[in-house]
Parts: sequence; C-alpha cells; structure tokens
Amino acid sequence: MPRNWKESNKRFLNTMLGIPGVDRVPYCANIGEQMLTRISGMTLREILSNPKTYANVIMSTTQFLKSDSVYVPTSYGGPYEAVAFAETNNRTHAIKWYDYLPIFIKQGEICKNAEDVERLEIPDHNKIKIWQTTFETAKIISKTTKFPSMVGFGIWAVVQQLLGDNAFIFMRKEPALLLKLCEKIYQSQMEILKNWKENVGRIWFVFVTGYAFNGTMMSFDDAMKFEGQFIKKMQEEMKTPIVFHNCGMKPYFEEVCSEIEFLAIQGSHPLDINYWVSFKKKFPNVSIMGANIDVSLEMLTGTPQDVEAKVKENIENLALGGRYIVNPICNLPFNVPLPNIMAVPKAVKKYGIYPLS
Amino acid sequence: MNAEEILSKLKNSIVKGEEGQSIEITHEALKASIEAKVLLNDGIIKGAAEVGILYQDGEYFLPDLMISAEAMVGAMEILKPELLKDAKGEESGTILVGTVEGDTHSIGKSIVIALLEGQGYSVIDLGTDVPPEKFVEEAQKVNPDVIGMSGLLTTSISKMHETVLMLKEANIESKVVVGGGILSIESCEMIGADDFATDGWDGVQKIRSLIESKIKVGL
Repeated sequence: MPRNWKESNKRFLNTMLGIPGVDRVPYCANIGEQMLTRISGMTLREILSNPKTYANVIMSTTQFLKSDSVYVPTSYGGPYEAVAFAETNNRTHAIKWYDYLPIFIKQGEICKNAEDVERLEIPDHNKIKIWQTTFETAKIISKTTKFPSMVGFGIWAVVQQLLGDNAFIFMRKEPALLLKLCEKIYQSQMEILKNWKENVGRIWFVFVTGYAFNGTMMSFDDAMKFEGQFIKKMQEEMKTPIVFHNCGMKPYFEEVCSEIEFLAIQGSHPLDINYWVSFKKKFPNVSIMGANIDVSLEMLTGTPQDVEAKVKENIENLALGGRYIVNPICNLPFNVPLPNIMAVPKAVKKYGIYPLS
Repeated sequence: MNAEEILSKLKNSIVKGEEGQSIEITHEALKASIEAKVLLNDGIIKGAAEVGILYQDGEYFLPDLMISAEAMVGAMEILKPELLKDAKGEESGTILVGTVEGDTHSIGKSIVIALLEGQGYSVIDLGTDVPPEKFVEEAQKVNPDVIGMSGLLTTSISKMHETVLMLKEANIESKVVVGGGILSIESCEMIGADDFATDGWDGVQKIRSLIESKIKVGL
C-alpha cells in the first residue's frame, strides 16, 4: 500500500514548530545503515550502489517501521565527512566498509600529526561519490515524500574521526592547532550545506551532532570552544532552525540551550524522566525528540511490554501541549528484536492520540 | 631534594599530565637510589588515584586523563627495566584488551591501557575491530588474568556476547570485563561478562578488583 507521507510530514513539522492541531504524537525511528541492511537484506555497498536503490530502501524501511520521519543516513556528516577528507587527502586506506554497519574510518589515520592537520585539504563534495549519491538520493526522497529536508552538521564527530585519540591530547597540548582543524571542518561542512541547497533544495532543519557536548568527554567550556562557537557561526550564516543531537551519557542540554537557540533537542540521557519534565518547563519553545527511550536498554534487553511502558511514560509526561516526538535514541541497531521495535509505533497509537487523556 | 619531595613531585607531574617532568623526576629518583617499586606505588599510583578522583568529581575530563596517562607511561618506560629486576617472579597481572569486531573506537581502550600500564600491569593490546577468534587465539597464547573488551556501538553488545561464548567454548578461564558507555547491568548479563565499565577509569578499577580477587582466591 502506498504510504501517506503528507500526514506524517504535517504531524512531524507541526510538532517541531509547536503548531497546534496535530492528530497524534509523531514517531521517529532513527533508521541508519544497520536497519536499512537488515530490512532490505542487502549489504551497504549494494544499497549505496545507486541513488534509486538507496532511496527505495530508505523509503520502504521507513514505511515498514512506521516512522513519521524520513532521512538520508549518509547526510550525517560524521564518518561520511571523514570519507570525503580521506579521498581528498589520499588517505583512502583509512576507510573501512562493513556489510551491515555504517562505513568506518580508522580513527587517527587521516591526521596522524600536526603536519597532517596543517596540510589537510578541504573536500569538494560534488566530486566525492558517496556525497553525489547522497545528494541524488535526497532529491528523489524529497520529490516523492515532500518530507522537510534535514542535513547533518557536526565538528567534533569529524575531529575524532580525523585525529583519533590525539584530539584529546591536542586539546591540552596544541589547542590552537586543534582549533585550526575545527575551522577547516567547519568550512567543509558549510560546503555540504551549500551543495545541498544547490543540488537538493531547501534545508528545513540542520541536524547538529554536537558530540562535544558530553560531560563524560569534556568540560562545557571546551565544548563551546571546539564545537559550540562553530554551531553559532553556522546559525548566523544559514538562519536555519537547528535540531541539536547528543546521544552521550551526560549531555549538556540545559547549558547549551542557554547559549544557542535550538528548535529541538534529541537525546536519551539522563534516564530520569523528571529531568525531561523540568527541561520542558525551562525551555518550552524547544521541542524534545527522544527523552529517555534508549535503544541499548529496554529495546535491546527488554520485552515489547517494557518498551510500551517506556513510551507510555514519555508520552504521559512530555506530550501534553505538543512539542514532543517519540524517538528512541540512537540509530536502531541490527540486533534489537523486531517485536520491540514494532512495540514503539504500536504504543504511540495507543497512548499518543490527541487530545491526550 | 629528599625522597619525600621527589615522590610528591612525581605524583604532581602525573596529576598535571606533565610528561617531560615525570620522566625527568623518575631519572632523578633512580639516581638518588629510590627503589622503583616505591616510585611506582607512592608516586605514579598515588598520582593516578588522584586523577581518578578528579575525573569522578567532574573536575577532570578525557583530555586530562589522556595527558596524565602519557605522563604515567613516560615514567613507566624508565621504571619497567628496574621493576623487572626487582620482581623476582612476582606478577601484577596480564590483561588482554581490544575493541570488538565492527567497532573502531579506541578512546576508552587507550585510557584503560595507559592507566594499567602506568600502574605496572602487563597489557596486550589487540587493537580495534578485533574478531572473536582473535581474542580466543591470543587468550590461548598468553593466558591473561582478565580480558577487556571495549565497544561504543550498540551492535558491539552482540559481538561481545559472541566473543564470550567463543571464549567459554575454548575453555578460557580468564575473567571478562566489557567496557562502553552503552552498557548496563542487563546488557552485561546478556553478554555473559564478569563485570562492565562505562568509562576508561571505571574499567581500570573493575579490572584491578577482578585481578585482586583472583589473587585472593589463589587462582
């Protein structure tokens, strides 16, 4: 049966923007490479072999998993941005393909030392095959579904791919050089956004993977220095609403929302629902995607009943007044039992119809 | 400078992550005939413990752990030959570590290795993206006290489980600690590991306590 994308788009967009009149709480599944390969039965190389196949796999998997959002996983600028850097700087040996996982970069292979950082050339994404495929795929999906385009942006995710563990050592020993690398990544990320506009069309939201903003990793001041200032700069230039993602264990959501204006945040920690209730009160104009539903907890080790209870808890506490999207974090892994995955949209239909009782 | 001052300086160089300083003081201490074992216990390990407290209190972060670890490793490189001379058959423990297959993240593993080596343990690093067969093969060769498996991805959980099953099939009796921010008691049980850690520092504590408990029961 063909999918009614229009209903999903309206549900998603209105919830994000805080527009009333939404029929039910939207459900977004983070469908990455693992789910695409699992549901389609194809390897990642087969899926990415041409934009038509890639777009069809994305749309059919989204339909199968009953998600209200559709996006192109390779538009997330972490490993795929590193691929662009690897190809541009003759470090393709750092790229590692798996059949049923995202592409990985051998961390620290692209920039082994300070000289590599100084010499690093910024990629032209139109010449990189994976990005050509990504742009073409996004165009097909955009035309078919009319879903508002969301494009990735992130500095620290790429820093770690390029520098590996040295990123943390440079932070203390070579901060100026590290900032130089952040600036190069920023320019490269802006090039993606520019290309996206030219190749695909309007960018509705920039999906910022703010991995630096994790208290288990670095201080908030360092996170602002090595990532936050670049998010601000991008925001000034793009004037596009931002969805801020952090799937770490101790995200600085409140701190960063006090510094930078976001349309939505996406995360699953802290696990205490009261944190999210309090966040909603403090930041009523910031939509919440996720809250405390984590793909490595109930969804992986629990039962469909456990998953249903978690979704219910989130909807009851956060969906009143809108601006809440049920969204297990992070990407659905290959090994999560299918009944647990399907328990989420089922619970959303059971408990998330507006007006909420 | 007396022995007490030297040990305090060594400890501080670890806490501040000053590698050059830790190397210089270690040389100086050996020249002043301070025993390597004393330098390890009262300088390096005390410094490491303070770094751990600062990390747990949220005053230190990964960059601070990394540079402290560098300072420890720098000092240990000088102490190692001396410690081996003094050891006379004493062993502090052997640990086999690696990031499981399909995962190339290394930061947690690097911290664990540096901190353990810095405290005198013998660590064999299998690197990242390590298949279960490799863990088994190496474990059969070196008979480690503890096997540490690291992983950041949710898919790593099933790979850890697969590796534990293969280790059991091969009758490897080493204790297994799994590490990664994604792990919980439930997933640790599912994997079949002896313990789990959610960050590098936690990993070091768990590995140390497993080795100590093994020594206590005389295994």
